[in-house]
Amino acid sequence: MNNAQQTARVGLFFLLGLALTWVTFETLSDGKVFKDRGYILIAGFESLKELKQGDEVRMAGVKIGSVEQTRLAGSRRAEAVLRIDPKVEIRSDATASIVMAGLIGTNYIGIDLGTPTAAALKDGSEIRTKVTPDINAIMSELGNLGQKLEGALNSITGAVNGDGKTPGLFQKIDKVVSDNSEKLTVTMTNLQDVTAKLNKGEGTLGRLINDPKLHDELVATVTEIKTAATDARTFVTNAQAIIDQVKSGKGALGALVFDEKTGTDIKNTVANLRAVSDKISRGEGTFGKLLNDDTIYRDAQTLMKKANTAIDGLGDSGPITALGVVANSLF
Amino acid sequence: MNQITAILEGIGSTIQLLFRAASYTPSLWRQRARFIDQCYQIGYTTLPIVAILSFFIGSVLALQAGYSMSNFGAKQFIGSLVGLSMARELGPVMAAILLAGRVGSAIAAELASMKVYQEVDALVTMNIPPAKILVLPRLAAVLVMMPVLAIIADLVGWFGGAIISKYTQSIAIEPEAYFSVLRRFMVFKDVLNGLIKAEVFGFAIVLVCCNIGLNTRGGPREIGASVTKAVVVSLILILVLDYFVTKALM
Repeated sequence: MNNAQQTARVGLFFLLGLALTWVTFETLSDGKVFKDRGYILIAGFESLKELKQGDEVRMAGVKIGSVEQTRLAGSRRAEAVLRIDPKVEIRSDATASIVMAGLIGTNYIGIDLGTPTAAALKDGSEIRTKVTPDINAIMSELGNLGQKLEGALNSITGAVNGDGKTPGLFQKIDKVVSDNSEKLTVTMTNLQDVTAKLNKGEGTLGRLINDPKLHDELVATVTEIKTAATDARTFVTNAQAIIDQVKSGKGALGALVFDEKTGTDIKNTVANLRAVSDKISRGEGTFGKLLNDDTIYRDAQTLMKKANTAIDGLGDSGPITALGVVANSLF
Repeated sequence: MNQITAILEGIGSTIQLLFRAASYTPSLWRQRARFIDQCYQIGYTTLPIVAILSFFIGSVLALQAGYSMSNFGAKQFIGSLVGLSMARELGPVMAAILLAGRVGSAIAAELASMKVYQEVDALVTMNIPPAKILVLPRLAAVLVMMPVLAIIADLVGWFGGAIISKYTQSIAIEPEAYFSVLRRFMVFKDVLNGLIKAEVFGFAIVLVCCNIGLNTRGGPREIGASVTKAVVVSLILILVLDYFVTKALM
C-alpha cells in the first residue's frame, strides 16, 4: 500500500469519527455541549421522601431542570434546590410537589403551570409547595381500607349465615317459607288460576290483554283524549289571548280592570250611590220620604177609600151627578 | 522491596519519557508521515475488532438486562441501560483493552526488539532521540484515534443492543422505543465522559508500552517478557484509571 492511500484512509477514518461524534452530539444535546446553567429555585417540604440530587424537575410533564441539591433547613423543614432552564418562566402562583414516577423509588418534582398573569419567579426565590401522599401512606390507607372491607364482609356473612345464637337471613327465610307453605301453595294456585284466565281472555283484564276490539277502543279513547287535549290547548290559547287583551287594557273588561280612569269613575259612581242610599235611608228627599214616611201611605189609603165611595155614589146617581160626586168626595 | 522499587522506577521512567516526548512536540509536523502511519496502525486497523466486540457487548448487555429487568416490568428501559453503559463505561474500556492487546503489545514488541538489537542505541548515537521519533508520533496518533474508536464502539454497541432487543422474543422492544428511551435518559455529556476516558486510557497504554519496550534489557526472551508485562500493566492501568477518571468526571 502506498503512502498516499494510507494517509487517505487515516483521514477518512478520522472524519468518520468526527461525523459520528457530531451526530451523537446533535441527537443527544440538541446542539449544546453544556446546557445553560439556568436559575435556582428553592422548594421547601416537610419531607423530601425519595427525592435525590439529579432528579428531574418537570412542568406539566416536560423536563425543565433538575434537583441540584437536597438539604435540611432548620429542624422541621427540608429543602430541594432546583436548577431551572433559563428559557422557562415559572409563575409565582405555581405549586411544586414531589411526584412518584415509578414503583422502584423514582421521584421527580412536578410544577404546575400557574396562571399566565402572575409574575415570574426570580433566581433564588422560593416556590410554593404542596404535600402529596407517598406510597407508604397510600399503602397504609389501603391496609386500613382492606380491614374495613373485611369487617363489612364478615358482618354480611354473619347476617346471612347467623352467628349460632340468632338465625341468619337464609334460616329466617327458610322458616317463613316452611311455616307458610300451605298459604303459599294456595296463593300460588290462585295466581296460576288468574294467569290461566288471563291467558284464556277471561275477565276484564284477560279481555284487555287478549281482545283486539278492546285494544282498538282503548286506542280510540286515547285518540279522543288527545283531541280533547288539543281542544283544551286551543281553548287555553284563546283564553290566553283574551287575558293578553285584557292585560293590554283593550275592551270593556280590560278597561274595567286596567284603565285607571274607569276605576275612578266606578269609585265615584259607587260613592254617589252610597250617598243616595244614605239619604233614602235617612228619609231625605221625595224618594226617601216615600219609602220612610207612612203619612203618604195613609193619605193615599184615605184617598182610595174616598174614591171608592164616590164611585159607589156615582153608580146610584147616574152619570150626570158623577162630577158632583167626585168633587164632593174629593173636597 | 525490589518489586516496589521496580514499580516506582517504572512510574518515574514513564513520566520522564512523557516529558521528553512532549518536549519534541514542535517536531511533529516534520514527522507527519510517521504520525499518519501510527494513526493507521492504531486506529484504522483496530476498527474491525473494536466494532465486532462492541456489537456483541451491546447485544449481551441488552439480553442480560432484558432478562433481569423484565422481572420487574422495566424492560422498556433497556435502551437507557445499554446506552449509558456503553457510552460511559464499556465503550471506552473495551476499546482500550483491545488497544492494549493489539496495539500496546505491538508497540512493546517493536520497541523491545529495537532496544535488544541495539537500534535504539544506534539512534541515540546518531543524536536522534528515541522519544522524538518512536514515542511522540505514537502518542499523538493515539490521542487523535482513540476518541474515534470509542465513538464507533459506542454506536455499534447501541445498535447491537437495539437489534437484539427487537429480535429476542422475550424482550421484543422496537428500535424506536429503544432509542427514544436512550435519548431521554442520556445527554451528550455522558458520551463526552466516555471519549475523555478513552483518550486517557489510550494515552496511558501507549506511553506505558513505549516505556516498557524501550526499557527492555537482555535478549529475545526479554522481548516476550516485555510484551507480556506491557499488556498486563496496561490492563491493570485501564481499570485503575477507570475508577479515578470516572470519579473525577462525575
